[in-house]
This record gives sequence, structure tokens and C-alpha cells, in this order.
Amino acid sequence: MTPTMTKPSANKAKSSTAPGEKPRRGRHPETVVLFYVANQMFAIAADSVQEIRSTDGLAGAANEIENPELPKVRHTIDRSGRTYYVVNAGQHFGLPVTRPALVLILRQFRAAVLVDRIDRMAEISGVHPLPLAFTGEERRWYRGLAYLDDSVIPVVEPTGFLAPQEFQKLDRAHKLAREREAAPAVQA
Amino acid sequence: MSTIAHIAENATENSFVVLNIGHHRVALPATLVAELAPPVRLHTFPHTTPMLAGAIVRRGRIIPVIDTEPVLGGKSPLSHRFYLIAHRRIGQDTELGAITVNGECELASGEMQPPAMDRPAYVAGTLAVGDESLDVLNLDAFSAANSQEVRL
Repeated sequence: MTPTMTKPSANKAKSSTAPGEKPRRGRHPETVVLFYVANQMFAIAADSVQEIRSTDGLAGAANEIENPELPKVRHTIDRSGRTYYVVNAGQHFGLPVTRPALVLILRQFRAAVLVDRIDRMAEISGVHPLPLAFTGEERRWYRGLAYLDDSVIPVVEPTGFLAPQEFQKLDRAHKLAREREAAPAVQA
Repeated sequence: MSTIAHIAENATENSFVVLNIGHHRVALPATLVAELAPPVRLHTFPHTTPMLAGAIVRRGRIIPVIDTEPVLGGKSPLSHRFYLIAHRRIGQDTELGAITVNGECELASGEMQPPAMDRPAYVAGTLAVGDESLDVLNLDAFSAANSQEVRL
């Protein structure tokens, strides 16, 4: 199974503004992919997702990576000559363990995200800033909040899945793993 | 609802809204009160900020809901869960925050007295109402920076 992304038709994509809300400067309508992790809905900008694949379809292409410091990343996948680190979104957000069925491969960023399922694509009227009262890791996780179909949905920040220093750790671990793999071949 | 709005509009420095949160009867400076909202849906999503329950949508704004339960105890029955929306100072900025209340509130006037030394950070002072001495809440203290202190 290879789910493909298509632009929603005008009458299918639901755009929603909070009741009584006037359009505000700095907020722009955008198309998002709505996905679920452990029964929690999230949104991600559609243009930050390059591909959506089933985990079954990628099973042969994934390589394990050992990094006890970052348990949310246990695999890499190679796409178009680049190595992507696969982040378990449930662990990233501290949600209960699930069995992810899909991988969102991000665009312009060497990360892919394991999620349970895709709900749909939708157009949101804009992204509300995260209230200042939220001061934890969510400030890195989310670009803000969207109000869609009477629900407040966090809009994830793609770069929040892996911090630069986490990339560095993973790159080191990945390099070591590749060197270990290559060593027997050199000896032979 | 309009009564609260009226209270807020005409509030003076010595005006307080007396309300029930959990098992406590407390007061809040009326000048900070924006609205008493009906029991609208509480939206939750993953976060790591202590003492926040989620957010509600009110008049087009997404308003964080402060979880007072760890310090003030008791949860109001859902049918009685109204939201008192008030202005909070967070760092250099202010924004609206909501706390759950059972919907009963009244206006009281008086002069707030400083809190005793051993009172937690969420108590801004005390207010004498009849025979009662009520804690006046400092909502600004219900923030991540003060969460440890508040819990004490």
C-alpha cells in the first residue's frame, strides 16, 4: 500500500475559523495533512511532507540504528541517496505506545515520522500562536494551533522532531554503524 | 454571564470576585476578570507544561486552561464546570487564562491584606468577607516557572 497525497478539492477541504473570529494579519490559509498518533490528532503543513508510505512497504528499506540516548529513533531509511532518521511520533510526544502504520517522509529535512494513520488533508484558515502559558517542549514541537471542525489541533513544527544536536548524535551513530558494517569486508 | 462582565467593567482596586474552586472559596481581583464562560469543550493535546489542563476556544481566541486541581483540590462536576477567564501576566506579556469554577460567584469589596509568610505563591493576599478570611489568588503564580513553589 502506498498512500498518495492529493490536493483536496475545493468542496471537500474544510476551512474553519474560530466562531466570531475575524481574519487576522499574519495568518494565512494553508493546506495541512491531518494525522493521528495514539488517538490524538495533529496537523502538519502539506508542503513539508514529501511522501507518505506504509511501514510494511518500507520494511526492507529500513536499517536499525542504535542510540540509547534517543529511543524515539530506531531506524533509518535511504531515499534518493539521503539517509532519513525515522522518529516515532508517539515517543516524541510522550503518548502511549501504538503500532504505527505509516511513515511521513519530510521534505527538506532528513527526518521521517511514524504515525498511526492519516485522517485527511484539509485547509486551515491559519495557525494561532501557541499561548504563552505553554512553556515546555511543546514550544519546540508545534508551530501553533489550528481550529478546525470545532477542534483545536496542534500544528507540528517539522524541525521540532529532531534538534540539530540530535542530528549530530544520530549522524555519529550512523557513521559508526556503517564503519562496523564495512570493517569485515575490508578484512576479507 | 453579563453580571460578571458588568463587574469587570466597573471593578475598582478593592473589588474582588469570590468564587469556589475545588473545595476552596477564594477571591480574585475583579479588575483581572474578563468573563465567566459556559462549560465549553476542553481541548487537550500533548505538552509538558505543568499545571495546564488544555485550552478552550472563546470568542475566537484559544485560551489556556490552568489546572488548579493539584493545589486547590477537588474537581467540579462536569455539569458545573464553568470557566472564569482572567488576565495573567507571563513574563513581560499578558494573556488570558481560564480556571474551572462551579459557576457561583459574587462580588465583594475590601482591602486585601498581605499574605502570611508561610502562604504559597498562588496566594497574593487575604480578604475579609463577613466572618471569612479568603485567599486572594495570584493567577500569575500558576505557571511553569512557579510550579514547584505552587505545589508546596
